[in-house]
Amino acid sequence: MSDLDRQIEQLKKCEPLKESEVKALCLKAMEILVEESNVQRVDAPVTICGDIHGQFYDMKELFKVGGDCPKTNYLFLGDFVDRGFYSVETFLLLLALKVRYPDRITLIRGNHESRQITQVYGFYDECLRKYGSVNVWRYCTDIFDYLSLSALIENKIFSVHGGLSPAISTLDQIRTIDRKQEVPHDGAMCDLLWSDPEDIVDGWGLSPRGAGFLFGGSVVSSFNHANNIDYICRAHQLVMEGYKWMFNNQIVTVWSAPNYCYRCGNVAAILELDENLNKQFRVFDAAPQESRGTPAKKPAPDYFL
Amino acid sequence: MEVEVDEKELKAAGAEPLTDGRHGLRIHGWEIESRKRSILKSSTLELWEKKLETYHMPEMVFGDSCLALKHVKSGFTIHFNAFDALVGWKKEALPPVEVPAAAQWKFRSKPSQQIILDYDYTFTTPYCGSETVKFDADKLEGGEISKDTCNLHWEDCNEKIDVVALASKEPILFYDEVVLYEDELADSGVSLLTVKVRVMPSCWFLLLRFWIFLQLRVDGALMRLRDTRMHCAFNDNASPTILREICWREATFQALSAKGYPSEDAAYNDPSIISQRLPVIMHKTQKLKVPDNV
Repeated sequence: MSDLDRQIEQLKKCEPLKESEVKALCLKAMEILVEESNVQRVDAPVTICGDIHGQFYDMKELFKVGGDCPKTNYLFLGDFVDRGFYSVETFLLLLALKVRYPDRITLIRGNHESRQITQVYGFYDECLRKYGSVNVWRYCTDIFDYLSLSALIENKIFSVHGGLSPAISTLDQIRTIDRKQEVPHDGAMCDLLWSDPEDIVDGWGLSPRGAGFLFGGSVVSSFNHANNIDYICRAHQLVMEGYKWMFNNQIVTVWSAPNYCYRCGNVAAILELDENLNKQFRVFDAAPQESRGTPAKKPAPDYFL
Repeated sequence: MEVEVDEKELKAAGAEPLTDGRHGLRIHGWEIESRKRSILKSSTLELWEKKLETYHMPEMVFGDSCLALKHVKSGFTIHFNAFDALVGWKKEALPPVEVPAAAQWKFRSKPSQQIILDYDYTFTTPYCGSETVKFDADKLEGGEISKDTCNLHWEDCNEKIDVVALASKEPILFYDEVVLYEDELADSGVSLLTVKVRVMPSCWFLLLRFWIFLQLRVDGALMRLRDTRMHCAFNDNASPTILREICWREATFQALSAKGYPSEDAAYNDPSIISQRLPVIMHKTQKLKVPDNV
């Protein structure tokens, strides 16, 4: 058994790698990812997955439902880390699979694959807690800069973490972005990772919140038409039912973190496309408590004032 | 969360746990129950949007969760739920806190048909609980809210909640925390409405807390805390009096660093640690006497 296969087995048990192993893994991953396009070509059949957010045991449920990699070809739409308890193991397992089976798993970048965001939402703290230093966080966030920004399945389905950008009308414009950097605060790269489709907006909308754009049905229609694609598949927003179509099936949100933050009670979904691009959504629940390895937390009564 | 409570302690305090899978207890004429459920389904969420006449809802609405404290004899109930809190948000309708990056966008080359949504995306609410009489617990299901609010009213008073007595380590017979709604402010912070309750042999005490921590790209952050505390001492010989203390605090990083507080501090994420540093912008104490027969 190669070192890499052994590491994959170890990670599948939710045991993190040594710091030196992480460093070596990231270097190998970098060599593969640097060759990928900003609009990475993906062949069908493929199974598309949305946000995971460090919910390692729920990702194991995902693999139970969708099948193991490399037997199943996977496309993950980003947000591997933050919020859940096991961002380190989750991201490293996906990265190890990427290095081992580069043509059977595609990882694209979500807005949480960022130095700034991970310092606020948990991944940074988790690395520090599990390794006693921030080196592993550095290796991982350096790798984030190499992740592709989007994928194109059989030239027909455009996949991205967040959505569209007013600065982008063609896929070629995405191809020209220099992505090897921290996610900027604005511009096309930021928008692809942050934007949301919105019913009540017809063209472009600005949320009063400080991130990405809102885009309406007409924006999606013209983008799909201009680029000759059937629909857009994206993640980024929690959906109670696991997936949600909008604008007459021109865009679909796929969400793959069941019982988000361990308390929302939502189901999750993955989208399976066969070789003819026929769709099947597979909906799944969170891993049962007893399979999580850690006992349910029973907080002591708190003498709050 | 289930907390193991010594059965002997319950008995000694004259309390008994609720049955039929309900989470809570009966004590001195009160029935105190918490209910924690999943976030609302898309279809229910749409229904709420219609009722509230809004297109915007927090990302996580725990619409079927609640805390209810019912005075059995009078039928008077104090309860806490997401729907009434969002009614409050809609009514208060604060102008949006401007995130500087969003402001910059407005001056960027404008795509046609661009609109800017103006609403209070922090979901700030003045909500401090709901009161009903002969409240039927079943009506909470699906967010249906009983409308027969009684004429009972809270009157301003000078009494204060006895914090010293509450600090004494009486056994806690029942404890729970219920999240009513939560939004991650598009990964710029958090907006959170929760209610915590603890029931001791001598009284019940609760804290309804609305908290936002919003990262601003230039000014650091905005912190807003709206606390409602309620306290009721058990007295079997008289109808109960409930004391309520409402305290609103708010500050930006900028303002705090001007006062000499460090601006880089993990504590800013935790309202229970940071609250003392935030200046009070509103404070009042009120009481309500529950009549024998409503």
